[in-house]
Order: sequence, then C-alpha cells, then structure tokens
Amino acid sequence: MKDDVSLRLDGCLLRFMDQLESLEEKRQRFNSLIEQGWFSISKARYAMGNKQVSALQYGSEIQPQVRVCVRELTGGVTEFQAEREETQGSEDPKTKDDVEDCGPMEGGLRRRTTAKTKNPQEEPVPVKECVSKDDVRLESKGLQRHQDPLKWFGILVPQSLKQAQVAFRQVIELSAEIAALQGAVISTREELHNLLEEKRRQSH
Amino acid sequence: MAGRGKLIAVIGDEDTCTGFLLGGVGELNKNRKPNFLVVEKDTSITEIEETFKSFLARDDIGIILINQFIAEMIRHAIDGHMLSIPAVLEIPSKEHPYDASKDSILRRAKGMFSAEDFR
Repeated sequence: MKDDVSLRLDGCLLRFMDQLESLEEKRQRFNSLIEQGWFSISKARYAMGNKQVSALQYGSEIQPQVRVCVRELTGGVTEFQAEREETQGSEDPKTKDDVEDCGPMEGGLRRRTTAKTKNPQEEPVPVKECVSKDDVRLESKGLQRHQDPLKWFGILVPQSLKQAQVAFRQVIELSAEIAALQGAVISTREELHNLLEEKRRQSH
Repeated sequence: MAGRGKLIAVIGDEDTCTGFLLGGVGELNKNRKPNFLVVEKDTSITEIEETFKSFLARDDIGIILINQFIAEMIRHAIDGHMLSIPAVLEIPSKEHPYDASKDSILRRAKGMFSAEDFR
C-alpha cells in the first residue's frame, strides 16, 4: 500500500517536472516572439513617424478576432484553445472585393490579377449596376476596416507592421497554450501535495 | 457568449497593447468598456488594480495578460486570485525582461519543494 502511494508520487513528480520543462520551453518561445513583435512595431514607427503607431490610432469600434475556448476537464484541469474568427471571413467573397479596393495587402499580387479579370466582365454591365456594386464594396470595406486592426494605422502600412501582426498572432496562440499548462502545473501540484499527505499519514 | 468562447484581456504598456490588439484580441463592448488597459506613466496603481479586478469579475474573459512590472505593482491582487478562470499570465515588457522567480504561478510551484512538504 505504501509502495503504491510512493509509485504514484514518483509518477506525479515526473509529470510535474515534464510540465515545468514544457512551460519553460513555451515561455522562451513566447518571449522571443513578443520581442520580434516589438521590434517590428518599432521599425514600423520609424518608417511611419513617431506618433503614427500609438494608442491614439486604435479604432472607435473594436471587435475581437480571437477568442479562447475554455473547457474544464476532469481533475480540475482547464484547457484553453485560441480560435480565430477571421478564418471564416477570409473565405467569404466579400473580402476579395475589399482587397481589390485597398490594393497592396498580403497576397496583393494574386488578387490584383483577379481584379483585372473581373473588369472586362463588368464592362458590359450597365452603369447603374456598377454603382450599386461599388456601394456594396464600400459597405464591406467599412466592415473590414473595423475588423482588421492593421487599417487603424492607415491603408498603406509598412511590411514591418504586418510582420508585427503575424508575430503577435503567434504570441496569442502560445499564450493560450501557456495558460493551459499553468493550470495543469497547479493541478499536478495539488495532486502531489495530496499524495505527500497520504504518504505521511501512512508512515505514522 | 458562452458558446463563442472567451476574450483575452491585456493590461500593459503601449507597445504590448498595440501588438495584442493588432493580433485581434481587442474588444469594445456595448457599454464601450474595453478589454485592455494601456498603462502610461501617469496611470495610478488604483486604476490598474480596479481594472484588473473588473476583468476578474467579467465572465466573458478567459485569459488576462499583464506585463510583469505592472503585476509587481498589484502583486497582492494577483496572488489573491486562485481560480483557474480567468488565467493570469505575466508577460515581459520592452524595458523589463521576464523574470520567472517573480511569476506567481512558478512561485507557487516552487513552494511545493519547501522543507515542510518533505518532512
């Protein structure tokens, strides 16, 4: 009986050490990615001007693109998983129109060619219809402006700001993983504590 | 709201908040209450603490990211939070690198190996 508790204690301790090691690794990756992000923000600020990348540029309407799914598993462990809502929108044909209007965005070259192929198709369409399509485009552009935080800082933002966005997106995903690991560390610590108590009681 | 997942809140300096908002975590809800706080030189500790507590009280927030140097200012409030949701993550800032020995979670884990536990 006492050996059983000791074995469980050893297993728990090994799991605890593994979790701490994994947490340390993720923390290092997190720190290097966030540094990369700050460096890119600084480069963007150098390119755009000191006051062009600051809290003053935040949009008046801010909607989240990332949410975390929180699940409570057995044993008091909580799982966090970052989910990006934007992926659904990127498949939407509306976004194509947005990119056409804005010009240089990520993957602009590919989309510019689609714009060229679209224009000849639109030529035979009467003027009234063209105008209504433009209105729809502007509406969708307005929505996109709220959704993509890059546009708070202008339409033609430097590449470094886009790099900062990519780095911070990775940081957000990592932060969900770290939050889950932290929860697991605390839970294993509790388990370890309980097993130690049990062993102590048996030895007396 | 519960089906859609929870938000990530940020308490940090300007660059940290800007970065995370660029990443898409920001929200201004119907009451115009943001899920972030940009801490500047003139931001008081009371304001930081109140914001942190308001984030803890909100049921739509799953993770709170806070710069470690700001967490140091309200350490008592952070140490007092024992629930798993929202999870509190201490992160580095541009001027202050991350110090694991100050992290409340790691300090709790380290406390496991005190002499008392192995008596």
